[in-house]
Amino acid sequence: MLIELLTKKYPGMRLWLTQRISAVVMVAYMFMMLLVLAIRQPSDYGSWLMLMTPWWWRVLTLVFFVSLFVHAWLGVRDVFKDYVFNLRLRAFLQIVVDMLLIGYLCWVSIILWKL
Amino acid sequence: MKFSIYRYNPDEDKKPYMQDYEIELQDGDQMLLDALIRIKQYDDTLSLRKSCREGVCGSDAMNINGKNGLACTSKLSELEQPVVLRPMPGLPVIRDLVVDMTQFFEHYNSVKPYLINDDPLPETERLQSPEDRAKLDGLYECIMCGACTTSCPSFWWNPDKFVGPSGLMQAYRFIVDSRDQAEAERLESLEDPYRLYRCHNIMNCVDVCPKKLNPNAAIASIKDLKIERAKEAKATKKTVSIKAI
Repeated sequence: MLIELLTKKYPGMRLWLTQRISAVVMVAYMFMMLLVLAIRQPSDYGSWLMLMTPWWWRVLTLVFFVSLFVHAWLGVRDVFKDYVFNLRLRAFLQIVVDMLLIGYLCWVSIILWKL
Repeated sequence: MKFSIYRYNPDEDKKPYMQDYEIELQDGDQMLLDALIRIKQYDDTLSLRKSCREGVCGSDAMNINGKNGLACTSKLSELEQPVVLRPMPGLPVIRDLVVDMTQFFEHYNSVKPYLINDDPLPETERLQSPEDRAKLDGLYECIMCGACTTSCPSFWWNPDKFVGPSGLMQAYRFIVDSRDQAEAERLESLEDPYRLYRCHNIMNCVDVCPKKLNPNAAIASIKDLKIERAKEAKATKKTVSIKAI
């Protein structure tokens, strides 16, 4: 399993693989979502709610968003490392992004479990 | 033909500037290098590197109309005028079109670009099967001109840490060489987050390579090989643990 390789022994590979695995998870979810939308064709609030209510679909949706945020966190981190040379400013920006992503994750979780 | 050429002599100029030239081409002037040599007849203060004049030595790599390439293999008839010539980006300029390639060669040196084999030397040579030899095709042809590495944004941002497409392609050239015995050591030396993994598949290297090589594919192969070897190491460790039980 590739996940077994995400250890401190491979610091470079760990970050790279994390980004790749999260991308694959997102593509798989989006493919499933498109398939479900094509089959069920939800047209109103009720049918959308029916679509999102099963617990396993909510878990999959949460996994998608976790992957999205991890992917975004790694990508933005690289951009900051490349373009922001002032270490204090970089640390500040990184904290802002971290807080935003954690906030979004909490928000998504609340939305999904309030359905 | 019109040219606009980057000029900078650190002993005399406060900052770089672009100088315009207009020259009359003569019979036999077909490549950009021919025109540059012609310009030097009128202005011998213009500095550039050149040697073989046939795309083998890689000395005359420069930025030609915004894209890195070799002056000796760039046809004048295919260049838009005025031809804008600048030194390769991302490296310190020594003078005019001449750049300091120390950093580039330090990275090349860091991948140990030579065979490591502790077996006793055979009487004649270390043999290779045709299949193993074929694995080196598309890798050994690199002329180390630096066009790929200096067009790579990942190298621009981390020139001291990221090995760059050229150095990594040379690393792979020795990793896949069946006569080399240091594969594990070579892969290990590329493990930190910068040396190899800073490549984000921007593909400028493939776009500019004057020898039409594909450093990006070599880099992807190193990443795949690292995963393969790490998986094998995990599997071996599991087997050893089970046997111990």
